[in-house]
Amino acid sequence: MQGAYLNYAAKRLLQAVVVVLLTYVFTFVVVSILPGDPVTNVLRDPQNGFTEAEIAQIVAAQGLDKPIPVQLWNSLSGFLTGDLGVSLRSSRPVSDMIAEVLPSTLRLAGAAIAVALVLAMAIAYGARFLPHRYGGAALRALPSLFLSVPSFVIGLLLIHIFGFQLGLFMVIDPDSFWATFFAAVALGIPISAQIAEVLMANLDHEASQDYADVARARGLRQSRLFFRHLLKPSSLPVVTVIALMVGEVLGNTLITETVFGRTGVGSLIQRSVVTQDLPVLQAIVSLAALVFVVINLIADLIYPLLDPRVKLVGAAPRRVTTADELSGKVSA
Amino acid sequence: MTHRIPTFHMSRRRLLAGSAALTVASLAGTSLFAQGAAQAGGDLVFLIDSLGPTWIPNNSSISSFQGHIWGHVTDKLVYVDGDGTATPWLAESWEQNETATEFTLKLKPGVTFSDGSPLDAAAVVANLDIWAAGRTEDGINPVGLFPKTYDHSEAVDPQTVKVVFKAPTLGFIPTLGYHGSILISPATIASPATEQADLGKTIASGPYVVDSWKEGDFVKLVRREDYNWGPAAVGHTGPAFLDSITYKLVAEQSLRVAAVQAGQADIAYNASPQELTSLRDEGFTTATPRYLGFVNGWAVNTQEAPLNDVKVRQALQVAIDRQEIIDTVYTPDWLLATSFMQGNVPGATDHGALLAYDASRAEALLDEAGWTKGADGLRVKDGVTLELVLHSNPYLTTSRAIDELIAQQLGRIGWRVVIRAYDVVTFGERVRFAGAGVPAYEVTRSFIDAGTVASILTDANKGENWFNLGESDPRINDLRDKIASAATHDVRTPLLDELQAYVLEQGYFIPRTQMVQRIYVQSPEVKDVVYNGVAYASYYRATKGSA
Repeated sequence: MQGAYLNYAAKRLLQAVVVVLLTYVFTFVVVSILPGDPVTNVLRDPQNGFTEAEIAQIVAAQGLDKPIPVQLWNSLSGFLTGDLGVSLRSSRPVSDMIAEVLPSTLRLAGAAIAVALVLAMAIAYGARFLPHRYGGAALRALPSLFLSVPSFVIGLLLIHIFGFQLGLFMVIDPDSFWATFFAAVALGIPISAQIAEVLMANLDHEASQDYADVARARGLRQSRLFFRHLLKPSSLPVVTVIALMVGEVLGNTLITETVFGRTGVGSLIQRSVVTQDLPVLQAIVSLAALVFVVINLIADLIYPLLDPRVKLVGAAPRRVTTADELSGKVSA
Repeated sequence: MTHRIPTFHMSRRRLLAGSAALTVASLAGTSLFAQGAAQAGGDLVFLIDSLGPTWIPNNSSISSFQGHIWGHVTDKLVYVDGDGTATPWLAESWEQNETATEFTLKLKPGVTFSDGSPLDAAAVVANLDIWAAGRTEDGINPVGLFPKTYDHSEAVDPQTVKVVFKAPTLGFIPTLGYHGSILISPATIASPATEQADLGKTIASGPYVVDSWKEGDFVKLVRREDYNWGPAAVGHTGPAFLDSITYKLVAEQSLRVAAVQAGQADIAYNASPQELTSLRDEGFTTATPRYLGFVNGWAVNTQEAPLNDVKVRQALQVAIDRQEIIDTVYTPDWLLATSFMQGNVPGATDHGALLAYDASRAEALLDEAGWTKGADGLRVKDGVTLELVLHSNPYLTTSRAIDELIAQQLGRIGWRVVIRAYDVVTFGERVRFAGAGVPAYEVTRSFIDAGTVASILTDANKGENWFNLGESDPRINDLRDKIASAATHDVRTPLLDELQAYVLEQGYFIPRTQMVQRIYVQSPEVKDVVYNGVAYASYYRATKGSA
């Protein structure tokens, strides 16, 4: 069985490498076929007063006029040897630029997922157990509301209320605790909605199972029933949702970071897209692909811990994913 | 170079202020106090919409955004004020030969870069060379508007620089006060592009030094205490008064203004023109300084029908109600164009009469040109409808609104207007001066010397050929040559006047309004801000306090 796991892990790893490489090439091709390049775009700013002939000369001096396959080969060979290259826009090493912005984004994304989880659990708990007159049913509508309000609207509202009106944080200091907290709330709210919906559906399903009736018959308190018995089986699909959410969190940081004036991976992507800064874009997109693949791999590995049935290869009738990939190898 | 706190945390602000107060107290009696301690101190926060792409000095000095930082971190040889007057700064005096091909600059002694090395003749030569040629293979561009006639320069002695040009270059001295001409230490100039891109490593001689910075986030500058060579023209030469200036990027326009209103910052850059009146009513200071350069307007492609007909161009010139643009899109802070150059440019003359709104004259001119009104009210000639395609300038946020207003104005006299709005990249690819399908290119460009116009009129000497005339207009060719070779202002000024009248009469250039590209909203606590010839705000002699 261990051999099968290693085999499985190697296969997944290879997949991850292929995904990352394809992402790299795809990004390069897409950006390359767009008109313009970062150097030309900057030079064309009318304030510079360069003629088209002068611009062409400068671009040629930097090798940007070479055929696309040659440029791709140069860039790919650098990437494979661990050299992320130099930004075409800022002329700084790409690795430095990413290292500079990564901590801020990790803090924000981590905080947002934490906020989303707490919020989702609160909504699901409330929707399940709060009596109608205290808004238990209304809570079920909350995820739809959360999903339909764009996160930048939530962000601007939070800034105006808690930043400008209540003075809880300064716009010019976006890395402070409260600024990070409210940015995480803005980012976490739409994510919490999706988690809450999955969690509510599963709670409803689990709560109607015999074991829940038995637990209730034993006189368990609601909170104990929720946390000790219902939450764990209900959170199995939630893990999948969170793993998929990571991509969305990364995408949404772009908006949230811009609104809150934070400098992170999102704002770096935004600046790089606008200026067609290929080396930076490729590095970030490959990194994002890597993170996405790794997170999903971790999610797969957490499954057996949450649901003992996943371990019983071939015997589990309600296995959701991945174990089917395992089963072939294991039975052999 | 000062190194205090490498990261930017406002929560540490009190601590910083406290330690700064202690430091100042222990330094009592220094030159700072001799200047009058009542004025010194304070931290300024400037909210800006971008911090630009790169910090390589040559590639970023003229940026509307980074130019603010360079203006405080670096010095220039010459100071050019808001009226275009050039006065000595680090060049104490200068002489030129009769043909304006050789200049001798005498440098102020005792000026040092922040690493202690001298700002001498050798340093100035290194700067002139890199401005003129850049190091393109390394990604360091030449400075765009530096005179292309530059031949070489040499250090005669430590305080004297001789600069030689291949042709008369009357604009050289004003160019030294232009935002591209910032002095950087030779050590930084010699370093590779990847190192020059790190703002924290750049050494210059200005009244402020970079304390800390983060790309796309903020730049914090702190005062250089031994600075003693400010431009006499601003009335102060010693160290700056404010302790620090922080340029913080806040991309969202409404947030920048709201933060100043909430007292969280001192200055918001690039507010919306429509907000200015109400902000002034609330007690905030607003500033809309003009830069020296071309007005906002169209360079007309004279080969593109129907604007290849001079009568049609002349009709366009008077069919635009420019006052309505100011009343509708802008505020009275914006000025009517009186030429194709901004009114504050030395050499610009008032030809406002040629630009007065006269719809009936426009209609008469179009009738004469054979464009007659059809049943639907649109003018037609040989089955073709009179149409003007406009490409809104993506570098000017109000451009589209003005285009729409002009479309209404022209529509009233039977002229159909098609507006195309592109992003910066697409605009750069498709819309060129005199390009096919581009009947009118919308200009927004600063220059420091009116002689620049000689290089845009035709295609001779790699000229930009804005009007697609080539060398077909002998009068333009003649004026171009005379202006380019003029060795004194007495000779050149009448020629410039003649050129302005001719270009406007012929409808080669259709002005819209005078240009304000930098809009400042400022807390009333900030005093004594100075705006230079390129409309950047300088806080060198500014103070902050409720007094």
